[in-house]
Amino acid sequence: MYDAPNLETRVTQTNTKITARGVQVYYGDKQALQDVDVDILDNTVTAFIGPSGCGKSTFLRCLNRMNDTISNARVEGEILLDGENIYDKRVDPVQLRAKVGMVFQKPNPFPKSIYDNVAYGPKIHGLTRSKAELDEIVESSLRKAALWKEVKDRLGEAGTGLSGGQQQRLCIARAVATAPEVLLMDEPCSALDPIATAQVEELIDELRASFSVVIVTHSMQQAARVSQKTAFFHLGNLVEYGDTSHIFTNPSDPRTESYITGRIG
Amino acid sequence: MTDATSSQVPAAAPSPARSSLLTQSALMKKRNAAEARFKAYGVAAICVSLSVLAIMLWTIFSDGVSAFKQASLTFPVTLDADALDPKGNRERAEMMRVTTIGYTKLLNAQLLAHLEARGISTEGVSDKDVAAFISRDTPARLRDMVLEQPELLGQTITVEGFATGRIDGYIKGRVTRDTAALDTNISVAQLDLADRMQDEGILDTKFNWGFLTNPDASDQRPEAAGLGVALIGSAYMMALVVIMVLPLGVAASIYLEEFAPRNRWTDLIEVNISNLAAVPSIVYGILGLAIFINFAKFPQSSPLVGALVLTLMTLPTIIIATRAAIRAVPPSIRDAALGVGASKMQTVFHHVLPLAAPGILTGTILGLASALGETAPLLLIGMVAFVANYPAGPLDGGVLDPATALPVQVYSWASRSDPAFIERSAGAIIVLLAFLVTMNIIAIILRRRFERRW
Amino acid sequence: MSVFFLIIVLGVLAIAGFVLGRGRALASVQGNTRRLHSLPGYYAWHGAIMAFLPAMAVLTLWLIAQPLIIERQLADYFPAEQFENDSQRILLMADVRRVAEGLDVAVAAGALTPQDAETITVADGSVRERLGAVGVALGAEVTPEVLDAAQSYRALASTGALGRAIVTLIVALAGLAYALRITNGDFRARNRVEAVILGVLILASTIAILTTIGIVMSMLSETIRFSSMYPFKDFLFGLTWQPSFQGGSELGLIPLLWGTLYISLVAMIVAVPTGLFTAIYLAEYASPRVRSIIKPLIEVIAGIPTVVFGLFALVTVGPFLRDWFAVPTGLGSSGSSVMTAGLVIGVLNIPFISSLADDIINAVPQSLRDGSYGLGATKSETVRQVILPAALPGIVGAILLAASRAIGETMIVTMGAGAAAKLDLNPFEAMTTITVKIVSQLTGDTEFNSPETLVAFALGMTLFVITLGLNIFALWVVRKYREQYE
Repeated sequence: MYDAPNLETRVTQTNTKITARGVQVYYGDKQALQDVDVDILDNTVTAFIGPSGCGKSTFLRCLNRMNDTISNARVEGEILLDGENIYDKRVDPVQLRAKVGMVFQKPNPFPKSIYDNVAYGPKIHGLTRSKAELDEIVESSLRKAALWKEVKDRLGEAGTGLSGGQQQRLCIARAVATAPEVLLMDEPCSALDPIATAQVEELIDELRASFSVVIVTHSMQQAARVSQKTAFFHLGNLVEYGDTSHIFTNPSDPRTESYITGRIG
Repeated sequence: MTDATSSQVPAAAPSPARSSLLTQSALMKKRNAAEARFKAYGVAAICVSLSVLAIMLWTIFSDGVSAFKQASLTFPVTLDADALDPKGNRERAEMMRVTTIGYTKLLNAQLLAHLEARGISTEGVSDKDVAAFISRDTPARLRDMVLEQPELLGQTITVEGFATGRIDGYIKGRVTRDTAALDTNISVAQLDLADRMQDEGILDTKFNWGFLTNPDASDQRPEAAGLGVALIGSAYMMALVVIMVLPLGVAASIYLEEFAPRNRWTDLIEVNISNLAAVPSIVYGILGLAIFINFAKFPQSSPLVGALVLTLMTLPTIIIATRAAIRAVPPSIRDAALGVGASKMQTVFHHVLPLAAPGILTGTILGLASALGETAPLLLIGMVAFVANYPAGPLDGGVLDPATALPVQVYSWASRSDPAFIERSAGAIIVLLAFLVTMNIIAIILRRRFERRW
Repeated sequence: MSVFFLIIVLGVLAIAGFVLGRGRALASVQGNTRRLHSLPGYYAWHGAIMAFLPAMAVLTLWLIAQPLIIERQLADYFPAEQFENDSQRILLMADVRRVAEGLDVAVAAGALTPQDAETITVADGSVRERLGAVGVALGAEVTPEVLDAAQSYRALASTGALGRAIVTLIVALAGLAYALRITNGDFRARNRVEAVILGVLILASTIAILTTIGIVMSMLSETIRFSSMYPFKDFLFGLTWQPSFQGGSELGLIPLLWGTLYISLVAMIVAVPTGLFTAIYLAEYASPRVRSIIKPLIEVIAGIPTVVFGLFALVTVGPFLRDWFAVPTGLGSSGSSVMTAGLVIGVLNIPFISSLADDIINAVPQSLRDGSYGLGATKSETVRQVILPAALPGIVGAILLAASRAIGETMIVTMGAGAAAKLDLNPFEAMTTITVKIVSQLTGDTEFNSPETLVAFALGMTLFVITLGLNIFALWVVRKYREQYE
């Protein structure tokens, strides 16, 4: 076993970053999500929990319009990022995703060098003017992802050659490098061993200082450890949303209680 | 602790000024333009391929359709008994002494007489040039007819025969007055005469069944050349290929898929199969020439040798398709059969094979389609030779008689000098494509009908 | 007894074995099939197989061995030095066989009595004329040696035929008797029959290996013969290709190789970008509906026989390039050219590259695409910077396979490239390729003992080695690539 790090779980922020109102998602004729209203705070870790198939990942993918890449997915309702509707016709999803970065369930480093993996985002978004600036971003992103010490001597090696936990931290560094405002994480630890999980959890807490972090997790312990706000999804509905401490100690909805006590899941 | 305490690290990137999502940055516009360009390249690539395909099919169809129609001359001929049977005894042996030259003279004279009788002026056209309207094929046919039915002698019959290639070309628009002026084989005056004859109904175009049934003809008579021998040759070859390739391919696939142990020997077979599938087809022609003709002394140009070569050539593709079909049968079926006490062999033959049959059949038809269109190896085993006689029936050893094949006929006509043969060549392609389309449609229907979702 | 008839008799014995085997098995258990080890059908098949298969094997061996033995017997009729020379012996034996067949025909037609056929000599007048009268045309007058040998051949052949029939039938009957003797309720007929079937399956699967051996042997032996007549070094490095059947040919490979590679290069320049962009569009951009229409249409190109492309090159592309490019720019005046053949082969290869590349691009895991889109990359950036680099090995493999096809393509170059062997850079010049020369050296009436003909086998060997090398390498690359993502 490992020592659970002592992480901050109190809500310290009140600025709303993302506002969702009446969000409905359909895959073809099947409704996957109904009437989700949620306010996600800046510089806060928000956890989405719920049994598999409950729509938590679907909602996460709405926040940076990754559902656009699925041909039969349809999103209704309103999601505002800093007061601007991200589903507005004028919004380019590509530009949106630069602001709302994403880390996936399975580590998916590109088959390129570690350096090129991290430099990919800044390059395509034109964030740098010189090689020196790019070097600096790569270094600081890897430092933020707590990977710098391990890889600084082998930046030219393939990203796919790292261990699982290192790969996931590389993906976090890659997402951080584009200087997003929100960081979405879709079960980022599900493919990792406990030690790597602890490292990534610690990292998530640190990232909170710079970003609004939204994390989907199937592990209630993880949600309790890293998040300040928690949303519980069930069968495509947002059942309960509130402070993590509140949800885990004193849930107001019986379904939330059943889930937390392990009766549904 | 890690080295990532954010307070010690500078911000990741020079934080860009909070930009609105609703306006596009200049860079974003550039990136989107690049995106549109990239997508356009894809569309362009597809358009290029499809338009080349369309142009090719269109040119071939427009060149080839006319091969199915043929200008023919229709006029009455009195079969002069004195000229055609000088001894007057109606003996076949005696009558055979009159060669086609005799019949040519008769036909020429009768055509001239008929034109005169109908009041068609042959002004500016010498008698010899009028005679040149009649295909050299016509006297030969008339001679065969008279030899068969000597009682026709002395009667007046209506002869319908091909017009020569140039006249045919003029009626179909291939030969124009401009090209005729440069051509020593035809004159503008002859074309004028052709117009007048057409008005009078002596010269007419008809659907040309002969194109599908006649054997090949020599360089001088493109109008008489047909696909008969090539069709028979191709049919013999395809039948033999099916007979050989299906059992061999299925047997080999069953062994490799169901029985073969994973060892070096089967690895060697696998490597061989995938490489053979990619060996240039002409190499199979060399193999056929060396093994089947020079070594085993099979007759050159025979459908049997062609079929052997095509069998070896299509076998790898068929094995690959068959194995895929066998592999698609779920293991649960095998387990079920083995579970009720069937032997491995019974399982395969009673359960796996029937379930894989539609897939095997589809693969075989597609393999056959590619074999039907294959040309290069057949050139080397002599199927490009000029064959004027039909091969015998399949039970009389016809597969050992010289024959040609459809695609080879396309090639050999294309390499002749008279442009009339290009039309024939394109016409042969239409026939070939018709067969291929039919085979592919059958394969698609089979696939649709028996497609199974396990 | 003719071979055909003998096989029919074997067939009848097999049917007898089928019926008797079944009957005996049933009789041995008094009709109670439950007491049989195997189903009755297996006993039937066992009987049929035992009657047919060993006899058929003996017959096959006999058919292979008899001509060799007879040939050796006939050696006495000819001077030793004639018989030791391979090509002369083959010609002599062909003569002997032809005369012997002629005598058979003459006997059958009644022109000769069987006695006459055995005793006729050259002194009895022209054998050629007498055989000619019954429709057997002989090239030259028959020499006494050949006639004697032919008569001896007939005698040996008829003795052989008799022996063949007797031995085959004895083996068949023995097999049948054996099958019936061991057939009883406990006999494991199914296992025996299945073992035979398995043997047949194994035999079928070795065809692939036999074909490869056949290809290599047939080309290797003739190539060796070629190198005994023409210095192989001059073939490999010669800069001139000038065959002449009067002798003094120059048979240099280099100009043909150059033409082949040049045309393939043009083809690849056309096919690689077009095929790749087609694949990228179909895999990444097209909606499922568009894809289901466009993909089969593109694949239609691959289903069209190459001779059709050849005619297209000859009739349409060649004259078009000549009239619109070559003549106006003064680069050439021939419809057949490197350009003509290269462009058309390129088009032919588009579907090949696009469908291979499509498979390979689809094998790139979706997670990599998600990763890239999640960072805010556009589709084209994702394709260029993530998917293509990830798919590169597979795509290289596909391109190599396509190159191997372009190199081995025959009909399009035969009809569109020309016949002149040249070392030139002008793409509007007619040039020729290895495959064109294989066709031209081996079609028509050819004798298989001149270097001008045998060079075709050396060319075939060269072609085989080049394409095989490319294929093995490409298949290896593609397999490695697939394993990476499995």
